[in-house]
Amino acid sequence: MPILGEFALWISLPVAVWGMVLGFAGGRSQRGDLVLSAERSIYAVFGLLAIAAAGVSAAFLGDRFEYWYVASYSNANLELFYKVTGLWAGQRGSLLFWALLLALFSSICVLTNRNRHREFMPYVAGVLQGILLFFIVVLLFADVNPFERLDFIPADGQGLNPQLQNYWMTIHPPTLYLGFTAFTIPFAFAVAALLNGRLDARWIQLTRRWILISWLFLSVGIVFGMRWAYEELGWGGYWFWDPVENASLLPWLTATAFLHSIQIQENRGMLKVWNMSLVLMTFLLTIFATFLTRSGLIESVHSFAQELKIAYIFLSFMGTVLAACVLLIVYRLPELRSENQIESFLSRESAFLFNNLLLLGAAFSVMWGTLFPLISEGITGQQISVGPPFFNKVNLPIGIVLLALVGIGPVIAWRRATKKNLQKNFTAPVAVGVATGVVLWVLGARHELALVTWSISAFVLTIISTEFWKGTRARARIEGEGYLLAFFHLVTRNRRRWGGYMVHVGFVMVCIAFAGAAYNTDSRFNVQPGDVVEVASPFGHAYQLTYEGLSMSIGRGQRNLLWQAIATVSVAQDGDPKGILTTEKRQYTNRDSQPMTEVGIRSIVREDLYLILSALNDTNGALNNEPGAQGIDLQVLIKPLVGWIWIGTFLLAIGTVIALWPSVDRRRMAAPSEGGGVEAAPAGAD
Amino acid sequence: MITLYLGVSLVAAAVVLFIMQPVVKGIHASLEREDDELTETEARKRVALLALRDVEYDFLAGKLDEEDYRSLKADLTAEALAALEADEAAKAGLGAEAGDAALEAEIAMIRSGLREGVACPDCAYTNVSGSRFCSACGQALGELAAS
Repeated sequence: MPILGEFALWISLPVAVWGMVLGFAGGRSQRGDLVLSAERSIYAVFGLLAIAAAGVSAAFLGDRFEYWYVASYSNANLELFYKVTGLWAGQRGSLLFWALLLALFSSICVLTNRNRHREFMPYVAGVLQGILLFFIVVLLFADVNPFERLDFIPADGQGLNPQLQNYWMTIHPPTLYLGFTAFTIPFAFAVAALLNGRLDARWIQLTRRWILISWLFLSVGIVFGMRWAYEELGWGGYWFWDPVENASLLPWLTATAFLHSIQIQENRGMLKVWNMSLVLMTFLLTIFATFLTRSGLIESVHSFAQELKIAYIFLSFMGTVLAACVLLIVYRLPELRSENQIESFLSRESAFLFNNLLLLGAAFSVMWGTLFPLISEGITGQQISVGPPFFNKVNLPIGIVLLALVGIGPVIAWRRATKKNLQKNFTAPVAVGVATGVVLWVLGARHELALVTWSISAFVLTIISTEFWKGTRARARIEGEGYLLAFFHLVTRNRRRWGGYMVHVGFVMVCIAFAGAAYNTDSRFNVQPGDVVEVASPFGHAYQLTYEGLSMSIGRGQRNLLWQAIATVSVAQDGDPKGILTTEKRQYTNRDSQPMTEVGIRSIVREDLYLILSALNDTNGALNNEPGAQGIDLQVLIKPLVGWIWIGTFLLAIGTVIALWPSVDRRRMAAPSEGGGVEAAPAGAD
Repeated sequence: MITLYLGVSLVAAAVVLFIMQPVVKGIHASLEREDDELTETEARKRVALLALRDVEYDFLAGKLDEEDYRSLKADLTAEALAALEADEAAKAGLGAEAGDAALEAEIAMIRSGLREGVACPDCAYTNVSGSRFCSACGQALGELAAS
């Protein structure tokens, strides 16, 4: 099976070339047979890559250690689950997996458009096949072939990095890849629009759902990564501006900007060039993210290897795409004029524009900070990295203004806001925001940025809930429905608007949670069994933690464990027992001498109690069960509001799904508008 | 080994047949261009109508007061009408087939809809005058909606 997979990968190469050439040629000559062949070649590439991926999986499941990739990321004792997910555990498999997802999405795109939007499809097929071809070339010629064989057959593999043996780590990469690859479809349609000259908002309307799906997976994927870092890296943080984290954030920032600016194009006929640039930028950043992760150019906990060949291939691909697209945009510039102009600085249009500039500013700063080590190396010969302080200093203010815009956007008038409009809509929310700040200050919150964030959050939440309330009330009154039904109909009738508001509420929750980090506490103790330590929460209560003792177990190779030390701690809150938490050190057989830490987390709505077994006083003594060798260093963190990141993300995901769900009304509406009024079922209506 | 080569050849042959068939047999995929692309004047018209719809919505949702609403609506209606005229003129310029009666009727309807307030604030569909609900989306219209 692995060999068949390898052959399938090779066969996919000429097929992709064929499809790319025929797609463009068919579009140019308007020959339907060439186009059909190009479209079929996409299904074929998907099938071939699926066989290739199955081959890699078969190699993992069959412990075929003659394959370098299997030997490096698996061993005979690895749990079955991680053998199954071995396909994306390392660089080589990940690239294949990436290409497979892209082929899957491309096939879905071709299939769903087999009878419609035909004027786009030749070029869409050509572009998609071109990008697939790039990944196939990388796999085959950049020394990253997952089917590469060793000259000998090792008795066992090296096993999987224990840090990657975590549930979140198995779903985080695929989720991100889904987001990255899904964005290729809007990009392909944008290029097709530039090539076929259909430059109205059509390509955006056709791909709106793809854009949202991509954004959904990107958002959720990033948060899965945060969750993994939080649970697995054992230091209590969820984000530390690591290059690869940044690389996934960059396309998210530009995709978010794009999601907002397309509404301006659809509703106002403005920003056409801007949207073309954003879709190009976002696509390039998804490739850049792969490149950064896969090239090992910048030191990072995620980087797989330092391989230069692949770096050159990626860079030349990105350069070619950039140059080609810029040329196309310039060529079409006269046809990309705006139909309208922004009338006033105080208007919803300018709020959208401002949102875009801030997101781009954030993207630029993150890009600069991420590449700074490279830039400094180029100039001074030394890699100097900028740390979290740089990123925080730049991005916190941007984030706070963006947060405020989330509130301002929905209620500031289109075109030009008058003083009255501002007074009418902002007096109450501003009052609520200020009151929230004052109350929190009186309650003892003194951290300025956190106070500002929470006040603005209260302002935004007031505005959005007023929107929901007014809409529901109006509907209940007009239709004579109960409030619950009215609310349901309100949301389902205009999913795009209300789904978007839900996404905003989720975003606000996440911001509130981020600000909670200002009140993190960190205490360290050296404890013996029976010791009780007390830690105060910023919310006023205190935890009494009793160290019950250490239990050691010597692994016999199961799950690759050499030994495992489990510290048990009883938790009480203000004297009230709340159960026990454990935190561990694990030494794996197959990795260097550094033991891994497993943390103990107790989550309540307000905060997380986070226990870290930092060190054993006497590891050898503990292993030999010597009495008196049970002392440990225990680190106790309290992380206020951290759970709201996950809750907020959940709401954000629900809102996105609501916004992209096909609307029944829309289909019904399409019928009477046929041949009739142009203004029925406009793009912005739902 | 033989099974492997057989398998590979089968896969390759299937792929070649599948992607070559359209070219060899001359099976054509449609490349029809949907002629729903708006002309420049149509796009202007649509944007103006959408803007009008948004103003209506903001007013109904209580985000605009009466005075702002009236002034914005007056401006936008003028703009929409101008766009309509321009569109009409552009179409008339295209020759007799474009300036047919149906089009005239449509323009007249939109125009009266704008004047009489039967253009749907939710979906911008222009209803016949006197409509109480939008025929496209069911939204309440006119006095019913404003109450």
